[in-house]
Amino acid sequence: MMETIAVLFIFFVLIILGFVFYAKVLKGNIEIETEESVQLNAIKIAQRASFLPELQCSEENIVSDNCIDIIKLEAASAIMEENEIHYYDRLSFSKITIKEVYPDENEWMLYDRPLDDYSNKITTNIPISLLDPILNTNSFGIISVETFLK
Amino acid sequence: MKKMKKGQTEIMGLAIVVILLILGMTFVIRFMINKEPVDYKKQFTQAELASNMINTFLKSTSKDCNELSMTELLQDCGQNRGIYCENGKDSCVYAEETAQFVFANTLEKWNLDYELNAFVDEEDPIFVLGEACPGSKKSKLFPIPTSSRTLFVKLDICG
Repeated sequence: MMETIAVLFIFFVLIILGFVFYAKVLKGNIEIETEESVQLNAIKIAQRASFLPELQCSEENIVSDNCIDIIKLEAASAIMEENEIHYYDRLSFSKITIKEVYPDENEWMLYDRPLDDYSNKITTNIPISLLDPILNTNSFGIISVETFLK
Repeated sequence: MKKMKKGQTEIMGLAIVVILLILGMTFVIRFMINKEPVDYKKQFTQAELASNMINTFLKSTSKDCNELSMTELLQDCGQNRGIYCENGKDSCVYAEETAQFVFANTLEKWNLDYELNAFVDEEDPIFVLGEACPGSKKSKLFPIPTSSRTLFVKLDICG
């Protein structure tokens, strides 16, 4: 009788240890997948922001890549505020700032919808040309996308 | 006969325990080799950064050098250095100083190591900014044709 109880005890201890270990591993895997998904989401938003047709430079309907038209940029932030829901679907909880680094120093806030109690924030900086179509000059700019996650 | 049967059952129990232990150990060893998350953001940033930095820099219009672009200034630098800017500096010095300013306010600010190299002959560069990458790097080479030869601008981002 005692032998059977001892064997059963060891058996259940082993089973419990196995479950504890399995739960730990599962938790680790979920954390890794969450981290990867957070990063992919940040990249997705950064890509969407840098290819917004509302901002892209174009000449006779030909779009130039990696370029933002300053005149469109100045108009866009007001339009984005008016159409908040539409842009929230595309840019989620994020903050998009465009900075001119050279020759002058300027900053434009394009989209500002931060999350107060965020658990993770990822900042992505992408160099981009800022075209002044009136003077026909290009400046060196940075599009900075901060993505917030709950 | 009854004693022998009991002995066999005990051995069976022991065998099950041993099998469970082996299975457990296999799992432990398998998961001990920790799976690191893939750094998608780093991969994306490095791939985009090298090409965007160089393209944007070369497209930029100078502040006080007859509204010439960096590409035009480097073209002159690779040819005959005939352009003198409003501050008295020649095209090569002007392009180098501008690159220094731009890279100090971007890559250096973000703590990214890099090497920017402008050359016609790689052995004798026109200017070099930053330091050579000791390990892996993402590279972008941009050729600028001049009337006599081709000037190259190469950017390596380390990591």
